[in-house]
Amino acid sequence: MSAAAQIGDLSFVHQGAGLPALDHVSLMVPAGESTALLGPSGAGKTTLLALLDGRLRGWRGRVSVLGAPLDPDHPPSRASRPDIGFVFQEFALVERSSVLRNVLNGRLGRMSPLRAALGSPLPRDLEVARAALADCGIADLAERRVDSLSGGQRQRVAIARCLAQEPRLILADEPVSNLDPARAAEILTLLTGAARARGATVLFSSHQPDLARRFADRIVGMRDGRIAFDVAVGDLSDVATADLYRETTALPAIGLRAVT
Amino acid sequence: MRSRGFGGFAAGALVAGAVLWSFATTDVDLSRLLSAGPRIADFLGRMVPPDPTVMNEIVKGSAETLRIAILGSLGAVLLSVPLGILASETMVSPALYRPVRTLLAFIRAIPLILVAMLMVGAVGLGPLPGIIAIAFHATGMLAKFYAEAIDGVSRAPIAALESAGAAPLAQLRYAIWPQMAPVVARDTIFRFELNLRESLILGIVGAGGIGFYIQTYVRSFQYEKAASVTLAVIAMVIAIEGINVALRRRFA
Ligand SMILES: Nc1ncnc2c1ncn2[C@@H]1O[C@H](COP(=O)(O)OP(=O)(O)OP(=O)(O)O)[C@@H](O)[C@H]1O
Ligand SMILES: [Mg+2]
Repeated sequence: MSAAAQIGDLSFVHQGAGLPALDHVSLMVPAGESTALLGPSGAGKTTLLALLDGRLRGWRGRVSVLGAPLDPDHPPSRASRPDIGFVFQEFALVERSSVLRNVLNGRLGRMSPLRAALGSPLPRDLEVARAALADCGIADLAERRVDSLSGGQRQRVAIARCLAQEPRLILADEPVSNLDPARAAEILTLLTGAARARGATVLFSSHQPDLARRFADRIVGMRDGRIAFDVAVGDLSDVATADLYRETTALPAIGLRAVT
Repeated sequence: MRSRGFGGFAAGALVAGAVLWSFATTDVDLSRLLSAGPRIADFLGRMVPPDPTVMNEIVKGSAETLRIAILGSLGAVLLSVPLGILASETMVSPALYRPVRTLLAFIRAIPLILVAMLMVGAVGLGPLPGIIAIAFHATGMLAKFYAEAIDGVSRAPIAALESAGAAPLAQLRYAIWPQMAPVVARDTIFRFELNLRESLILGIVGAGGIGFYIQTYVRSFQYEKAASVTLAVIAMVIAIEGINVALRRRFA
């Protein structure tokens, strides 16, 4: 089984933060599959995904994505970036631009810098963008401005932009956390379906174990910056899931100090 | 609460003191003050009926005022783009934007009419000192607005385009500019309206435009003509306001 991402003994502390957001993480993300990153708030899911996207500096450990090692001190080359697609937790769309324009923005890294700056997409760029819109079920919204859309529609635009990029690895940060259960299932169906159809790997984070079970082949549990478990979907036990989301029992340091 | 009550008392005493000081030291005796009303009425009476024969001067003066406002605004935009970038928290370091912001506040603090008088002294009578004065004065506000437009841009869409491999120019065009454009357009139009309004009176200090005729006619006791020009100025201010309201609606 080949790896879309290989992580060895990875640690990272956010600037100004005391505790590490990632604490000696080792993980292999198998290529061509869907992996869910499960864990409570603050577990380090967003941090891990952003790091794999090449957006964080100053970490320690070994990370390679799509066969190429990441450099902890320098951003990845621009040419390598379109291969990794990212669906942002808060969408990160250009609100005042049209849906089609936002989806075409996903193509910018595939165009020559001159063509991208001039804003003249090739027929192929338009074709890929239109196909992504259709796959996300929003072909009829192409000309609408994003600031006129609902949360679920925006989520679809964010995914369509990512698909238009033609990534080989899709990192999706809580792609359904803003949606009701029915809409959430629809979105994950189209995300994992579109990825499978394109032979792309998906790594998505989620708070919802039931959705992870339904849509992932593999489930990774994270808590306090550490990997709690890493299992095939059939091997996930309810006990492990419940333990992942257990309440914090340790007293906060400030409380202890007050006693002594 | 106590300190607030004391603060209120102190503020009241300060205002009362300021008013008393003004009365005591200004050279206006009561009789002149009482006769001021009738004198103003008499003055206004001599302005009616307005003299319509100055239409030519009104058109000429208005056209020059418009030109001063347009060229002055253009100058302000050209100055405000670099200064706006230099005053932006997100583009440059505090060591740079802090002094630039102080400079802009300083520029804003100087009244336009003062700048215009200085410029008339520096480059002579005519529209040129008016244009320079407007450009200088408006930059204090416009560059600050541009800096705020830059700093108001949300970072997330820029990061998203960068993550997709978009080059910096493409990020500027498709993530930064679409967010800034409506703000920049609105602020620029707003400032142009102020420039047009303020340049109506620049002629009074010899810096060109329609104000020149008001000053000339008042000084030569041709009050009917001064009245016509004044009415034209009022009509233009109202027209500018109307256009502004219409534009606001478009940009809402
Ligand atoms: N920019 C930052 N600066 C400082 N600390 C940060 C920053 N971003 C995240 N952290 C901290 O790093 C830890 C992990 O955060 P992260 O956002 O990765 O968690 P998450 O699993 O994505 O949580 P959620 O489910 O709420 O999105 C948290 O303790 C958080 O407070
Ligand atoms: Mg997160």
